Amino acid sequence: MEFSEHIKTVNVEDVVLRQPLHPPSRGTLCITGHHLLFSDREEGSCRQVLLLLRNIDAIEKRISGSSGTITIKCKDLLVLQLDIPGMEQCLNIARSIETLSCLDSVTEMYPFFYRPSDVHLPDQWGLSSPEKHYSQMRELHDRWRLSTVNRDYLVCPSYPPAVIVPKNIDDDMLEKVAKFRQGGRFPVLCYYHRKNGTVIMRSSQPLTGANRKRCREDEQLLQAAIEGSDKGYIIDTRSSQQALQARMTGGGFESKTCYSSWKRLNRQMERGKALQESLIKLVEACGDEYQNMDRWLSKLENSKWLSHVQTALSTAGLLAECVERDGHSVLVYGSEGRDSTLLISTLAQLIMDPNCRTLEGFLALLEREWVQAGHPFQQRCAHSAYSHARLQQESPVFLLLLDCVWQLWRQFPLALGFSEALLLRLATEAYASNYGTFLCNSHQERCVLGLKENTHCLFQALLRPKERDCYSNPLYEPTELAIWPSVHPQSLQLWRGFFLRWTPQARHLEEAQEEIRNMVIEWGNLALS
Amino acid sequence: MASPVSVYNSNALDTHISSTSRESLKMELLADVSLLPGEERIIDKETMYICPFNGAVKGKVLITNYRLYFKSSDADVMLDVPLGAISRVEKMGGASSRGENSYGLDITCKDMRNLRFALKQEGHSRRDIFELLFKFAFPLSHGLPLFAYVTQEKYAENGWAIYKPVEEFRRQGLPNNKWRITFINKNYELCDTYPTVLAVPFKSKEEDLRRVAAFRSRGRIPVLSWIHRENQAVICRCSQPLVGMSGKRNKDDERYLDMIREANDTTKLTIYDARPSVNAVANKATGGGYEGDEYQNAELVFLDIQNIHVMRESLKKLKDIVYPNVEESHWLSSLESTHWLEHVKLVLSGAIQVADKVSSGNSVVIHCSDGWDRTAQLSSLAMLMLDSHYRTLRGFQVLIEKEWISFGHKFASRIGHGDKNHADQDRSPIFVQFIDCVWQMTKQFPTAFEFNERLLLTILDHLYSCCFGTFLYNCESMRDQQEVRLKTVSLWSLVNSKMDMYLNPFYTPESGRVLYPVASMRHLELWVTYYIRWNPRIRQQQSPVEQRYKELLALRDEYLKKLEALELSGSSPSSRLANTPNNPASSTPPQQYTQLQTPL
Repeated sequence: MEFSEHIKTVNVEDVVLRQPLHPPSRGTLCITGHHLLFSDREEGSCRQVLLLLRNIDAIEKRISGSSGTITIKCKDLLVLQLDIPGMEQCLNIARSIETLSCLDSVTEMYPFFYRPSDVHLPDQWGLSSPEKHYSQMRELHDRWRLSTVNRDYLVCPSYPPAVIVPKNIDDDMLEKVAKFRQGGRFPVLCYYHRKNGTVIMRSSQPLTGANRKRCREDEQLLQAAIEGSDKGYIIDTRSSQQALQARMTGGGFESKTCYSSWKRLNRQMERGKALQESLIKLVEACGDEYQNMDRWLSKLENSKWLSHVQTALSTAGLLAECVERDGHSVLVYGSEGRDSTLLISTLAQLIMDPNCRTLEGFLALLEREWVQAGHPFQQRCAHSAYSHARLQQESPVFLLLLDCVWQLWRQFPLALGFSEALLLRLATEAYASNYGTFLCNSHQERCVLGLKENTHCLFQALLRPKERDCYSNPLYEPTELAIWPSVHPQSLQLWRGFFLRWTPQARHLEEAQEEIRNMVIEWGNLALS
Repeated sequence: MASPVSVYNSNALDTHISSTSRESLKMELLADVSLLPGEERIIDKETMYICPFNGAVKGKVLITNYRLYFKSSDADVMLDVPLGAISRVEKMGGASSRGENSYGLDITCKDMRNLRFALKQEGHSRRDIFELLFKFAFPLSHGLPLFAYVTQEKYAENGWAIYKPVEEFRRQGLPNNKWRITFINKNYELCDTYPTVLAVPFKSKEEDLRRVAAFRSRGRIPVLSWIHRENQAVICRCSQPLVGMSGKRNKDDERYLDMIREANDTTKLTIYDARPSVNAVANKATGGGYEGDEYQNAELVFLDIQNIHVMRESLKKLKDIVYPNVEESHWLSSLESTHWLEHVKLVLSGAIQVADKVSSGNSVVIHCSDGWDRTAQLSSLAMLMLDSHYRTLRGFQVLIEKEWISFGHKFASRIGHGDKNHADQDRSPIFVQFIDCVWQMTKQFPTAFEFNERLLLTILDHLYSCCFGTFLYNCESMRDQQEVRLKTVSLWSLVNSKMDMYLNPFYTPESGRVLYPVASMRHLELWVTYYIRWNPRIRQQQSPVEQRYKELLALRDEYLKKLEALELSGSSPSSRLANTPNNPASSTPPQQYTQLQTPL
């Protein structure tokens, strides 16, 4: 496809840009295949504003007389307004934005064109991989092995080529287990708890169906995972009712008789559409600046966003408790095992494992547990809270994760090695990015499109010296202890830094945080010198 | 998954419990309580503390003339409550009550908690402890002195010296050719609830002041609280005019307000009436009212802040949803229904309007009914926004001494120090609400205040404790009569003798800056570390940071020393205290939405 087909008007002079935190300015608007560029022509200033078209979630156009106004609502919650002289020009621009902001083909997206002059495409892509993860944990090698049964993505299309499984379960058995689990997502290890040798595994639901099918290999795999221990826990992120119902559609859960050593715990977590609607309600309430403010807290409550945060943190807490306090291994899944499963396994690792709390450790964790484990970013993050498009697979699970991490960060301001700015950056990048990291839905898709050869890696970029300074927590003090979050509603806060990001107040606080960071760094340097 | 906090989160007061080994504690639970000078043990008793979080805990309670102290037998649970914090003591259950722990004492506190103790039913075991507790918790109702008069702790600094009215006026640049200092009230004859030293328009004569006093409720005439150094706009405070049903006028009052306006050529003097307009109208029935059209060159703005009764009920509702159990399922809408944050918002936004008016060069007058509750909130918050001096540790003390203590906020009536009448209609958490507003500001401007949250908590603890004379009595004339400054210690003596506990390491002085907090509900937070601090399951966010504070302060000191050394050696790189980042542009990470350096 040629982008130029979709661009009827390239340049418009005399456009007025209105955006929060800045006075309106007049200048030239220019549209390219991937960007909106506005350059200010006021005397004495030459500000330019570059907006990735992918970041645009919805536009509204209003024509009055010979000119028009386009309101642009971005996925990072920024709202801009452009006053464009000339009706036709306005309509052309609007049409271009509509088409170019939701390109379907991944290889046409900006990451495939992004070529910063100072950086070459990396030889090595990413920070972590199951192979690397495995080789770093020697303690694991007695009882667990690295299997490449999925090297051609035939056993499980959404898994990476290599996964960690119990040593005495061979690849043939894995293939059988995969057939018994939805989407082929057989149980794999995602976390090894050094303190007591227990593990977290994740999978999708077993396909027991109404006839309560069994799979001996699946039973053996789980048994092998807890060899030498009397029991393990299965955390199912559905209610028992939902789990029962899942049988009707071919899914199900592990029966007590066949998995006698395993104890099931049900914790219902909202997913999919419900989560997306919650985000929409919340953003609506946040943006509702001039409406009656008396009901703000009720609106916040009605959006249910904070109760989703609460459920996620408390389920992750339960998981961590099983592992850290109770000393038993856990298998986690919901239905597909690509959303809430990843959410709570990630949070539980942050709670327990100090290695995940450094800047690198956290990014590596995200890479393993979200990117490689097959969270369908492309489907989930196709649209954000403003879009009028009919919802399909959108769901802000990753944003919910970032919010939960922010809550941890707020409750333990010294325990995490990264800053709020990192979480904000990730929240933006997941929806629209220069980097290839969050493109596609699985490792396989990325491999097919040659993502590693053709795009830059966000996680590596975030670790470059200049960025690292900005994204690390100057107050960081590593602790070996688990950080147990308080999940009472009184302890949870709206993530103002994100949801009210484009208000002067949030911006002001950001500046103050920046100031604090600079101060601490400066003092630190002097103390060293 | 809240982790049960093993150490019971007890009182934030600086009481000194020496760390003795558990073994010896078991032998004599109460042996290690270190008492303040003048503090005496009254009674101790085996008892059961009915902890709302950990269930019934067996231990020993000690009552002194200052505190109620409890330690559990295993020494895990400890309570240390100044008797001043108690508002009500009641007997729970009777001699024939059945059920476990149904017989004992039920204690309501002023600081957002209640305490229950169960005692043995046999032999009227609670009679003596009830009577003694009742007596010492409410000394004024029993002809006993407040504890502040009994104790005489020595501190390196005398906190009573922190505020000297004339010096504070001089700091503001007063007197000048528009404003004079008057001692007309030196014997409290003009107004018995005002301080002795007042600043009034230069042109006004003493007899004018007397005539104005006759037209203002309780003689609280408009006087200057603060003047803007550059534009000379002022904040004046007073009480309502005595307009009454008949709509009386007073030429002297009208002319006097016009003198305030004239002092810096304000075109229109703005009078902020803190009340809702309906209340202002209703006040006419009792002889009060508000300034009408006869006040030429003045405009009247109502700020819609509710009265002391509404605030009291609001905080009571808040207590109901946070103690002993925090509301779980509908927390936010329950919080909303207390209206507490909404009241905080109205007070803050009123103060913002005042500050904004003054910084744009217009003089203002603030009043409510008597001018000692809402008026004090508005003037002090506006001054905190306008004048960075009040944002320092010492400056904040001056602000409280000046706008609250010297101008007759009725601490004794609002708090009820040593008084058994817990249901008195004069009680109201107006000062707590002010401190809440200050806390909201410190949250929004984390680098603008020299003091930290701990100072605010300490102030609120000692608002009730009666350990210091600072918050005792309703006005200066009473304090003089009771010789508070001679016979008691100031809270600021304590604070200023261990200042580094109360310093904010991130403070960066910016003298000219006016702070405009956002008073939108979206940006206000419930002050969980104060209102829900007794609940060990709610994360106390403050503590880990605080441990780091001292370290950071040490780092900062080192930094300042090196900077000084560099300056001495003549190679001063910069004299700024790191308050401006080197290059603001470089600190913002590149995002999709970027200011480009080079065009495409």
